[in-house]
Amino acid sequence: MFEDPDILTFIRTLRDYAGYDFSNYSEKSFLRRAEKIMMDYKLDIHGLISKVKSDRLFLEKVVKDITVNTTELFRDPQVWHAIKYRILPRLASKREINIWHAGCSTGLEVYSMIILLNEMGMLHRCHIYATDLNTDVLNTAKAGVYSYRSISEFLENFNKVLCENPYNFDEHLVVTHEKYFDINKVKDTFKIKPEFLDKAVFKKHDLVTEPNPFDVAYDIILCRNVLIYFNTILQNKLFIDFWNYLDPFGSLVLGIHESIIGPPSAKYEKKGLIYNKKVF
Amino acid sequence: MQNIVIGGSAGSFQTVTAILSSIPRNYPHAIFLCLHRLKNVRGGFVEALSLKSNVPICEPYDKDSVMPGIAYLAPANYHMYVDANNQFSLSTEEPINHSRPSIDVTFCSIAKTFKSNAIGILLSGANKDGAVGLKAIKDAGGTVIVQHPDECQVKTMTTAAIKITEVDHIMFTNNIIDYLKNLK
Repeated sequence: MFEDPDILTFIRTLRDYAGYDFSNYSEKSFLRRAEKIMMDYKLDIHGLISKVKSDRLFLEKVVKDITVNTTELFRDPQVWHAIKYRILPRLASKREINIWHAGCSTGLEVYSMIILLNEMGMLHRCHIYATDLNTDVLNTAKAGVYSYRSISEFLENFNKVLCENPYNFDEHLVVTHEKYFDINKVKDTFKIKPEFLDKAVFKKHDLVTEPNPFDVAYDIILCRNVLIYFNTILQNKLFIDFWNYLDPFGSLVLGIHESIIGPPSAKYEKKGLIYNKKVF
Repeated sequence: MQNIVIGGSAGSFQTVTAILSSIPRNYPHAIFLCLHRLKNVRGGFVEALSLKSNVPICEPYDKDSVMPGIAYLAPANYHMYVDANNQFSLSTEEPINHSRPSIDVTFCSIAKTFKSNAIGILLSGANKDGAVGLKAIKDAGGTVIVQHPDECQVKTMTTAAIKITEVDHIMFTNNIIDYLKNLK
């Protein structure tokens, strides 16, 4: 819990002026971000507080700077193998599948999912929802345009997830990068092909203060490396929220080094890297 | 309990393995390892280090508590912090010195949390990550050790550290091992 009176004032100001509640952020992580902002703009905490009060654009910038934006194409292939071989086969007979990427950042995880679903022939039955607090990253996600240099290192993960089967080493499929991306190394651009751009609904949403952003029950919720920035009180609240938003037998996918340890752990069954909703 | 944090990059794997195989079972101190590795090499590292280690090696989860007698390895692609309540905190914030995990990040966090009960050890490596962190440990009252540059496969990291910090010991692997074995 935050104790420093100046930091508390700063958090209160962000709540009153921007409507965002950072009071249950992980203290250390919040302070690190705040310190970085103060250094970048050469302000002390008092200067920072008065500037967010008087400068609307700066206020929005600060909120965006506090939140961490990391996403990768097929980050942690073993998680994607679990989705591919453990979760999706269970949903194969469903007519409609709802998937929510909570805290989607620039959308690389969303497009990873779209590609995987397309390869499995399930994409046409899926509704894919993606939310983030930060409208800048959402705009990047919607456009689907990235720098090739920033993506190229993840293409190996693309191959691993789509072409290899860890349960059958003899299986080896060929999926070309050109099928999904327009790559221009000279211009350093990496674009998602237009036919895969409109498959997801992107929406601004604050996990901390707002309820379920779409009026559906989800078969899969992915919220990876978001909750590490929150304290355990807020983490536990969100684990319960997610449980409520999941379809019976739905699955929650967290970051590979995140876990449910508090009381909400009784509401989930952990299977490998996946948390399945327990109904009874 | 002392808190030993070891940072290393290119050329450090053998030294780390030698240290872990010499430290006794039920070691009364906590060990933190922040080692650079190739980004897409996620699995297998714990197993490789565990082969010869006497202490259990684990990649902590966010908000796990620190226990003595365990070597905690910073997970691939995360920064690893230890907070004042003795809990791990992981983050995917920007790489520092082109590194995630960054040795500076883990060293600075250990310095802040454990102060004079921190021991920082910096090994062979090809970039400057770790130098600033080692200084932070020294400035906070901890003990800092650098592997002798003559023994390092790549000495960029250790010489960078020696340049900005008056280190307590410059040691060869064998001396580092003796030091850690005798640590009260």
